[in-house]
Amino acid sequence: MNAFAANREWKKALLFSLPMLLISGLLFLSGKPLTNPAKLAPAVITFLFINITFFCMIYTGQTHKYRSRFFILASLLFVVSFIANLIEVRGTMELSAANMLDGETPLCPLVIPMLIIPAALTHTIIFPGSLFAAHAGVAPMLVLWLGFSLAVGRGWCSWICFFGGMDEGFSRLCRKPKITAVDSKWTALPWAVLLGIVLTSAATLSPTYCAWLCPFKTVTEFPAIESAKTALQAVIFSSLFIGLVVVLPILTGRRTQCSLFCPFGAFQSLFNKINIFAVRINRADCVNCNLCLQKCPTFSLDEQSLQAGKTLLSCTKCGKCIDICPKKAIAFHIKGTPLHLNLQTARVLYLYPAFTFAAVIGGGCIYGGLERIFRLAVTGSMIH
Amino acid sequence: MLQGFLLGLSTGATCLAYCAPVLFPYLLGEAKSIRQTAWTLSRFMLGRLLGYLVFAVFAWLTGNYLNTLTDRREMLIGFIYILLATLLLWYGLGQTSVPCAAGSLRGFAATLAQERPALFPLLLGLFTGLNLCPPFLLAFIAAGENSTLGHSLLFFLSFFAGTALFFLPAPLLGLGKNVSQLKNVGRLAAAVMSVYYFYSGLLLLWGGMISS
Ligand code: SF4
Ligand code: SF4
Repeated sequence: MNAFAANREWKKALLFSLPMLLISGLLFLSGKPLTNPAKLAPAVITFLFINITFFCMIYTGQTHKYRSRFFILASLLFVVSFIANLIEVRGTMELSAANMLDGETPLCPLVIPMLIIPAALTHTIIFPGSLFAAHAGVAPMLVLWLGFSLAVGRGWCSWICFFGGMDEGFSRLCRKPKITAVDSKWTALPWAVLLGIVLTSAATLSPTYCAWLCPFKTVTEFPAIESAKTALQAVIFSSLFIGLVVVLPILTGRRTQCSLFCPFGAFQSLFNKINIFAVRINRADCVNCNLCLQKCPTFSLDEQSLQAGKTLLSCTKCGKCIDICPKKAIAFHIKGTPLHLNLQTARVLYLYPAFTFAAVIGGGCIYGGLERIFRLAVTGSMIH
Repeated sequence: MLQGFLLGLSTGATCLAYCAPVLFPYLLGEAKSIRQTAWTLSRFMLGRLLGYLVFAVFAWLTGNYLNTLTDRREMLIGFIYILLATLLLWYGLGQTSVPCAAGSLRGFAATLAQERPALFPLLLGLFTGLNLCPPFLLAFIAAGENSTLGHSLLFFLSFFAGTALFFLPAPLLGLGKNVSQLKNVGRLAAAVMSVYYFYSGLLLLWGGMISS
């Protein structure tokens, strides 16, 4: 048990939680008309949820347990608020050609790797969104993504990504995995998909992943079904969603869409190289029980990496292996510092940026979803 | 030209994964300094470029020949795309071995390396350039669509540039020591690209049927 949990230093934990209290207070309690209960109640609940989650993480020394609950809830409520918003604005989840021409599509981070070559070659952003739109415009989303990626690398996939939260949610429904052996060659698939979509997007000057492969179109917006082509696209989206986000995670207990398909996840892994935070295994304490290896949701540990005391490049810094290791041999680590020194400092220093971004994005989703649900309870409808 | 470059990029990982076991042991074993490695690598790449240019001429001749065979060229190309895409998928997901011509050098490589050390990387490059793997065949067909020899040469030149991006940093970074995951990426990328070419083939066929 770590120092905080063992000594029940709740006052210290409270002190460490104060900055988060301040940040989330500014985010969720200021600027909201406090007299309107339909807005005040979701804001207060979100504020409390954020701070209780962070306090529990600091106080108990457990990362994965509390992160995961926050992450999954944010993802579910993201879908609620996103769909309600679409129906309010457009009357449908379908995205028509006119909507695209109007630049109404909010920028999805998954599209970022596909923008690079066309932007360099043609100086255009091949995405039907507005650069500075109030709701997920291209520029603010790019800045947010870059900031987070530099701060915590592929931590994106376990702290921010609302799609990853769905994958994680379904994987946690698995009590006993029905499929335990997954050939490690499939972990190369996200890189192959990344290569494929970057090249085809450059060749066709359109975001091919969004047009053909994104499983999450099923629960967000999708092209209006007007032809055989769009019908085929809809079939692909929903099959990928059912297979990779629902069925396989339930059967394997792993995040199969994130670790075996998502090209953005592969791209994001590259930021683990330049990010100062890492997850490391202290070989002196490890007894080779392989529990971490079997339980890692993203196949980010194998026997070789375990022997080398490192995770693979794909590690999403979710903290699960750290929490479950019976010998407490795994820890968050600041690159360049000695392995066994200042473990708690490294963890807290990692939690601040990771959870602040999670609070900003995930907290926004939770607030948005709750607000819709409250509206439904009060007025009988989620939309204005 | 962009098409050729992108196709080169998409097959580069595969080429590297399959030709690396032939190339790297030699490169890493022979060259001591970065400068020596770079010199050997440039001769290897020159050989590879020569191999590609030979293929550019063949691709152009084949394209012209196809023109004389039928006036439904689009449909024929579409059909070949579908065929090759299927082959690419099979190669990406199946347990096939790739006919990298450089493999045939193994036998007399040691002798040649000793007797003609300056020529060896050039020949190695030429043989890895004369490759008949499915992605390469796709490049062959795509280049054959060009009407002039100059365009076909340009296509293969840009295809070469695309694959070269994978070859150049690899020996310097020591990637040759761990090619198995790269091989997986290359194979699966071939499978992913096969879907794109399958779809392009279908569109060409469809377009040909409508216009005929
Ligand atoms: S769970 Fe801990 S003790 Fe077991 S193999 Fe992993 S690091 Fe070693
Ligand atoms: S290696 Fe550990 S921290 Fe990284 S993704 Fe796997 S369980 Fe999470």
